[in-house]
Amino acid sequence: MGLRTRLFGNKQPDRDSGQDSENLFDEAFLKQLELLQVIARRLFRGRNRAERKTRKVGSGLEFADHREYSPGDDIRNLDWNVLMRLEQTLVRLFEEDEDLPIRVVVDVSDSMQTRSGDKLRQAQKIAAALAYVGLSNLDRVGLVCMSGKVHATLPAVRGKGRIFRIFEFLKSAPRGGPTDIRSACKRIAAEAGQPGLTIVLSDFYDMEGAFDGLNLLRFRKHEPVAIQVLDPVEADPTASGLRGDVKIVDCEGGDGLDVTLSAATLKAYTEAHKRFCAHLEASCRSRGIPYFRADTTTPFDDLVLRMFRLGGILR
Amino acid sequence: MNFAGFAAAEVATLFAVGAAVITGLYLLRMRRRQVVVPFADLWQRVTAESDTRRLWKKLRRMFSWLIQLLLLALICLALGDPRPDAWLREPVTLAIVVDASASMAGVYTDEQDDAQAEPRTRLQAAVSRARAEVAALGPADRALVISAGTEIRVPAPLSRDAGALLRGLDNVSTTEPGEADLGRALDLAANAVSDQPGGQILILTDGALDRASLAAIDRCIAGPVTCQVKQFGGPAPNVAITAFAARRYPDDREHVEVLAEVQNLGEAPVSLTLDIAADGVSVGKNTLQLQPGARQTSTIRDVDAARTKLVARLLPPPSTELDPDDPTRGGLGPADDDIAYAIVPPLRPLKVALVTDGTNLFLEAALLTLEDHIDLSGVAMPEARPDHPILAEADVVLYDVGDNPLPALPERNLVVFDPWRRVDANFLIPRQNDITRPFLTEQLKDHPLLDSIVLKDVNIRRGTSFALDQGDQALVRSIGEPVVVLRTGSYQTVAFGFDLRQSDLPLRVAFPVLVANIINYFEQSMPGFVASVPVGARRPVKVAAVGLNADGLSSVEVLGPEPGENDASTTIPSEVVPLQDGIFRMRATQPGFYRVVAADGPHAGTEVRLAVNQASASASDLRSRLPELGPEVVKDEAPTPVPLSEGPLWTLLILVAAGLIAVEWISYHRRVTV
Repeated sequence: MGLRTRLFGNKQPDRDSGQDSENLFDEAFLKQLELLQVIARRLFRGRNRAERKTRKVGSGLEFADHREYSPGDDIRNLDWNVLMRLEQTLVRLFEEDEDLPIRVVVDVSDSMQTRSGDKLRQAQKIAAALAYVGLSNLDRVGLVCMSGKVHATLPAVRGKGRIFRIFEFLKSAPRGGPTDIRSACKRIAAEAGQPGLTIVLSDFYDMEGAFDGLNLLRFRKHEPVAIQVLDPVEADPTASGLRGDVKIVDCEGGDGLDVTLSAATLKAYTEAHKRFCAHLEASCRSRGIPYFRADTTTPFDDLVLRMFRLGGILR
Repeated sequence: MNFAGFAAAEVATLFAVGAAVITGLYLLRMRRRQVVVPFADLWQRVTAESDTRRLWKKLRRMFSWLIQLLLLALICLALGDPRPDAWLREPVTLAIVVDASASMAGVYTDEQDDAQAEPRTRLQAAVSRARAEVAALGPADRALVISAGTEIRVPAPLSRDAGALLRGLDNVSTTEPGEADLGRALDLAANAVSDQPGGQILILTDGALDRASLAAIDRCIAGPVTCQVKQFGGPAPNVAITAFAARRYPDDREHVEVLAEVQNLGEAPVSLTLDIAADGVSVGKNTLQLQPGARQTSTIRDVDAARTKLVARLLPPPSTELDPDDPTRGGLGPADDDIAYAIVPPLRPLKVALVTDGTNLFLEAALLTLEDHIDLSGVAMPEARPDHPILAEADVVLYDVGDNPLPALPERNLVVFDPWRRVDANFLIPRQNDITRPFLTEQLKDHPLLDSIVLKDVNIRRGTSFALDQGDQALVRSIGEPVVVLRTGSYQTVAFGFDLRQSDLPLRVAFPVLVANIINYFEQSMPGFVASVPVGARRPVKVAAVGLNADGLSSVEVLGPEPGENDASTTIPSEVVPLQDGIFRMRATQPGFYRVVAADGPHAGTEVRLAVNQASASASDLRSRLPELGPEVVKDEAPTPVPLSEGPLWTLLILVAAGLIAVEWISYHRRVTV
C-alpha cells in the first residue's frame, strides 16, 4: 500500500467497508447499552405508549391534573373523594408515557469512505449503538443514509428485536456520492412526519452547507445532534511525509488542484482544518445544537459509554 | 578568445540542439502525481494564491528555463575549452632579478604617478613591478625571483604558483648595504632559464650600479636569453661617508688620527654634522657644508688609542630634526652609508731590513728616528742572500749598495738606491740611460711617497734612468726620463736611479720626510693595514694584519656585529673560514664591528675586531649609470595581466555550472524555484 493510499485512501472508496456490522457489538457491550437512554431536551409527541413522559395527558400512572367531567368520560377516573367532599364531578387526569422519535442520519458519501472507510465504519457503529439505546427504551428509531441526497430510509421501528433490521439496513444501504448536508437535511425534514431527535453522523466536509443543514432541521422543530467523525491523519497530514508537486483530486469529483506540498503547506492545511471544525462547533453550540467529535482512533466503547454521557446525549 | 576544444561552430550547434530539447521539455505539460483527498475545498482555500504570486510562479518557470539554458551554455563553452589570447602564447620562463643594493632605498619617482601619491622607495617600486609581472603570468608560465644584494638570494624558486612567488616577493623588503652583485645574480638567472622554454630575464634596478654590474647587464643583454631592464630612478640626494679610518701616529703610537671622508653625491647643497665617537664617547663633531659633488675630509687628531672602536655618523644640523616621513632624510639619503666603523690598528712594528755596506749613516739615521714603530735590522752586503732570515721575514728591504755589486733580491717590498751603478747588475726594472748631473724636473706631487717633498733643487752627480713597463709609475723624472720609479704588484719596488752618497739629498730636510713617507707607504699599502673591510664580495684579509698570530692557525671564526652594535636588525650567523698562507677570505653583509676568533692553533680563542663599512662612493651614488650602456637598454613596457591566472577556463566554467546546479537543487528542495 502506497503512501498516498495510507494517507488519503483510494480514490474509489471500498464498497465493502463498513458492512461487517453484524459483529459491531459484543454481548457485554450490548448489556451496557441497555442501561443507557437517549436524552431529548425537548418533549416530543410520540405515537405509542412507552417509557418517556410527554405533554400528552393520558393513561399514565402519575397524576397530572383535574378537569370537569363530561359525558363519555371513564367514570373510573372520577375523583370520588372530591365528589364526596365538594360535590363536584372532577375527573383525574394522568400524564401519558410515550415513545421518543429518534432519527439517526448517517453520511455515506465518498468522503466518509476514504482510508478504507474508517470514518464510515465508526459512524455506523455509533449509529447502531444509539439505535440500540433507543430501541431498548421502547423509542421509535428510524435511520437515514444520505450523501447529497437521501439514499435509503429505515422507517421507525420499536423494540430491541429490531436491532438486527437496523444492522441489515446499515449494511445494505447504498452509499457514495458527494456530500451535501443541506440538501440531505432538507429532504429529511420534509419527509419526517413527526419531528424528533435527529442525530447526524458525518465528517461535515461541506464547506458551505454543513451547518446550514443542521440549522434547517432545527427550524423544522427537530432537535439535531451533530457528531463529526474525523480521521486524524486526514485532519493533520503534516506527519504523512508526503511532499512535492502533486495534483490533488477530491474523492467526490471535481477538477484537480496543482499543489506543491511542503511542510508549510501541510501545516497550513492542518490549521485550516482545525479552524473549520472549530467554526462548525461554535456555530452548533451557539444554536444549542449538541456537537461531538468522534475520531476514528478513539476507542468506540469509550466514545459511547463516556463521551456521549458526558456530553448529555445519553444517560 | 579562442577555442582549444570543440570549434565555435560545433559549440553553437551543440547549444542549439540542447536548447531546443530543453525548451521542448519545458513546453510539455509537467505530469504530477495524483493524490485523492476527502476535502479538496479546504485544500483549495489553503493554497489559494494571489495574482502577484501566480505571476511570479509563471516567471519562475521562465526563469528556470533561462537557468537551464545558461547551464547548457556553460557546459557547451567548457567543451570548447576557451582560452584568452594571452594563454595561447608560448610559455614563458621569467627570472625576475631585483636589485636589493643600498641605493634601492632611495626615493622612487615616476612621472606617471600621482604627485600626491605616498612616496615609495625604489625597492618597493621594484617589488610592485615584480608583483605585476607575476600577475601577468599565464597558466603555463613559470618564474623565479632573485634578490641581488651583496648576497644573492632566491626568495622564490622556479615555480608556476603565483602565490609562492608573491610570498617570496614579500621577503624582498629590505635593501642590503653595499653594491648589488648583479654579475652572480644574472649568471644564476641565466642558468635557471636558459634551458627553459621562453626564457627571459627581467632586471629591476635603479641603475646605480658599479662597473662590474653594468658589465654584467651588458653581457646579459648581449647573451642568448632575452634580457630586459626596468629602471626605478628618482631623486638622488645622498651624503655618504666614503672613507673612515684611524692610524697611529708614527711618532706617537699611543694616539691615533681619525680620518673621515664625506661626499655629497646629490645635486643640492647639504648642511650636516659629522659625529665621531670612540667607544661610545663623542670625540669630534664637525658641521659640514657640502656643495653638490663636493668631498670633504675631516680629521680628528690625538684620539687616545685606548679607545679602539670608532663610529662616524652623519646627522642633520643641530638646529634641525629629521622628519620620519621624509624619505630623503633631509638630503642625507639612505642610512646605510651615513654610518661608518673603524678599529684602531693593532700595534705591530714594521719589519725593515737595511742592506748596506755601512757607509751611509744618513740613511741609517733617518731610519733610526722611526725606530719606535719599525723593527730595523741591518744586513751586511756579503750576507744579503734572498734566503737570509732577516730578509725573508722583513716587510721592507732597503738596498743601499753604493758601488758594490747588487746582490740577488728577495721577493719582498724593496727600496733600491742606484741599482744600475754597475752595468752587469741584475735588477727587475731595466736600465734606460746614464744621466750625468740629472736635474729632478718633474715629480708626482700627490703621490704619498712624495707627500710634503719638493726635489727639484736636489743636486746629483750622476744617475740612471729606467725603462718603464706597463703599470710602472715614474715618481720623479729628469727632463722626461724616469729617475724614481714605483713598480706595484704582489710586492712593490721603489727604485731610485741615483746614489744618495752622490747627491745632497741626505743633507736636505726632505730626506727624513722621504724616508718616513716610504715607511708609511709600505705600512699602509701592505695587506696588513686593514682600514676596514667593505661589504660585498669575499675579500682577502691577512690574519696578521688584524692582529692574530698566524702560527699554527688553520681557520678563523668570523662573527657578525653583536646586537645593538650596529643599526642592522638582522643577526649575522658566525662563519668558520679556512686560512691559506695566513689569509682568510671574509664576506661581510652588514656594516659594523666584526670579530675574528682564532679557531685553532696555540692561540685558539684569541679574538680581534674588524670594521666593516659600506664606504663606497659608487655604492652610495644613487644616480643611474644605465645610460652608459645605451638608451635602448631600459624597457618600460608594462606587463599585461592575463584575465585569469588560474586555468584552464573550462574548469572554471564547469565549476560555475556545478554551482548553478547546486543552487537549483537546494532551492528546488526548499521549494523556492518550483
